[in-house]
Amino acid sequence: MTKEASKNTELMAIHARDLGKVYRIQDKPIHRLLDALKIGGPRGREFWALKGVYLDIPKGSTVGIIGENGAGKSTLLKLISGVSKPTTGDVQVQGRVTSLIELGAGFHPEFSGRENIGLACSILGMSPEEIDELTPHIIEFSELGDFIDRPVKTYSSGMYVRLGFAVATCVNPDVLLVDEALSVGDEHFRGKCLNRLNDFRDSGGTTVFVSHDIGSVKTMCQHVILIDSGEVIEQGAPERVADEYLKRVKARGNERQMSMLHRGSAEYPRWGSGEMEVEEVLLLGGEGQPGLAFETGEHFIVRLRYRAHKDCNQPVFGLGLYRSDGTYVNGSNHQWRHEPIDLGEVKAGETGEVDMAMGALPLLEGQYYLTTFLYDHSKAAPTAIDHREHVVTFQVLDPSHHQHGILRLPTAWAVRRNIPGEEEVRGHESGS
Amino acid sequence: MFSLLSSLAGNKRLLIDFVKRDLKARYVGSSMGFFWSVIFPIVNLFVFMFVFRLLLNARWGDDAGPKETALIMLAGILVWAGFAETLSRSTNCLIENANLIQKVVFPSEILPVYLTTSSVVNMLIGLPIVVLGCWLFGITGPGMSIVMVPVLLVLQMLFTIGLGYFLTTLNLFLRDTYHLVGVGVQVWMFATPIFYPAEMVRNARIMLPDWLSFLSNMPLRVDKLTGEEVPLIAGEGGDLGLGWMLDINPMHWLIDAWREVLIFGRWPDVSSLTLLAVVSIAIFAIGATFFRSQQAKFPDLL
Repeated sequence: MTKEASKNTELMAIHARDLGKVYRIQDKPIHRLLDALKIGGPRGREFWALKGVYLDIPKGSTVGIIGENGAGKSTLLKLISGVSKPTTGDVQVQGRVTSLIELGAGFHPEFSGRENIGLACSILGMSPEEIDELTPHIIEFSELGDFIDRPVKTYSSGMYVRLGFAVATCVNPDVLLVDEALSVGDEHFRGKCLNRLNDFRDSGGTTVFVSHDIGSVKTMCQHVILIDSGEVIEQGAPERVADEYLKRVKARGNERQMSMLHRGSAEYPRWGSGEMEVEEVLLLGGEGQPGLAFETGEHFIVRLRYRAHKDCNQPVFGLGLYRSDGTYVNGSNHQWRHEPIDLGEVKAGETGEVDMAMGALPLLEGQYYLTTFLYDHSKAAPTAIDHREHVVTFQVLDPSHHQHGILRLPTAWAVRRNIPGEEEVRGHESGS
Repeated sequence: MFSLLSSLAGNKRLLIDFVKRDLKARYVGSSMGFFWSVIFPIVNLFVFMFVFRLLLNARWGDDAGPKETALIMLAGILVWAGFAETLSRSTNCLIENANLIQKVVFPSEILPVYLTTSSVVNMLIGLPIVVLGCWLFGITGPGMSIVMVPVLLVLQMLFTIGLGYFLTTLNLFLRDTYHLVGVGVQVWMFATPIFYPAEMVRNARIMLPDWLSFLSNMPLRVDKLTGEEVPLIAGEGGDLGLGWMLDINPMHWLIDAWREVLIFGRWPDVSSLTLLAVVSIAIFAIGATFFRSQQAKFPDLL
């Protein structure tokens, strides 16, 4: 209701016209000084962090800005919040802006939480009366209890963030800028924060939400803006923009692969007797295209190309799958199966391909890497012919965001409700 | 510069908050609290008295006794400490508050002002000790000229804030500035008559080496103390007087004025006070203009 009302006034909360920001990269610090004093022409290279951005964000809406790291999201937020001045164009914001980028910025470690609240509010331009009125609310929301009168330096990082969030949202901003700040704090407080953001939206506040996590942007925003290399590529309905974003991330991933292949394996250990060699590792997606970024549920093939330099008996290829933090997700080879593939003898000069296929990639969003094993199984204890650690890193994107963790599991859910007065048992069962 | 002044007036509340915070931060967590404002200069005083009076046998003219010398030194230390501390803190203030400047719309022009104000307040806690000492030891002490104190405070603050604005802006471009200021303050301190009387400098003569002898063919100037015409830098044959060091040092004029007012109960020298006023206002104008011209770029420069 409030949303409709404010829309009708046709006032934009944020209005930006041809917004651009250029950073000049000088070779020597002294050049910056001379440029600043306008002695001699501009030196150094220009870098456009943001170019030609037009925004019309109506009051009361929640808008998401997505883009990869370095796309210009943070620069845009800085321009909206007024911290940084645009090189071209201008941006107008109606009302008070607070941003969750600055959680706890300016807290003084020696002062108590209460004193810091006063100082932070006064930096946000509030009068002493307003501060006195708000302080109890902030303290209550932050759940700091007795800690509020202890020096901030004794706080845990979670408490620090709680206080920061409480200050930023309790000061009744008109526009709230959120920059992935919610990834901190415990589960309970994060829930509280999301509730607070929802309340804020319902009361007609405008939220600008910056993330590279499409899942959360999709669930929270009605309008999404995709930024790449400082330019707005696409904007509109979350579904459509998210698809475009995924496409781009995948394309980017594939570009990266080209450079990875040329890098060789010098960075990670590789060992073995060397009769045979795994020369190349290819990751193939649903359409058989090589790539480094895949979607959960996509058809997925790991293809190893090998070459034998000497004769070899009973070589076995295997794959180890790890998450980027080193968690061993899965390991398998073509020998230890129901129907083993026995290569028998391999002669010098032979080449070939080994495929490991998964009908539907069960990995959830995250970064993973592969280690290839080529072992001689003719002996009781297999010995390494060519063991390559960390051969290839790839990315998995999960546009649905239905499950969390490492693997998508076929979970089934059922709800049986007993509602007094109604005898029937209503329920719904499904497999994910 | 005028937009800067009006913005300072607009942010008065925040400025006061910052000064309070800073004064508190000096002593939060210490049991002696504000006494440190007093203890620190007194300890300093004993150290310098030991070195200069006992070891080097420096005397403050013929008629000054040891107690008077101590008070003269103390007044000098207090004023100098307020200035020097602010200067190095101001130089670093933008970098130290980078998280504020980069993340919040923050009036960074209050930073050097609050630092200066805080240290001046700190100095004002220490200076009454000098006055008490005068009364205790039967030295003249302040008289009518005490009305000059606000003037001296304003000039000192203008001078310090102006330098602070200039140096902190420069420090964003050339980070060496901070280190240079550290060294410069040290040199400046010993070039200023704090632990020795100004006459010692005026009377000092050094002989220039041959390759610097061109300095002796400089035009004449009027010596402030004697009113005689003396060579600008060095006399005939490379005889170099050091009096010029005092004539270009605003901190000497300032400290001298403080001593006149607080210890000798005399009116400060009008000509050097006028000069101090001109220099302070000029420094403030230059510093503030430079600061203001670059302020929009601060978030990008940090």
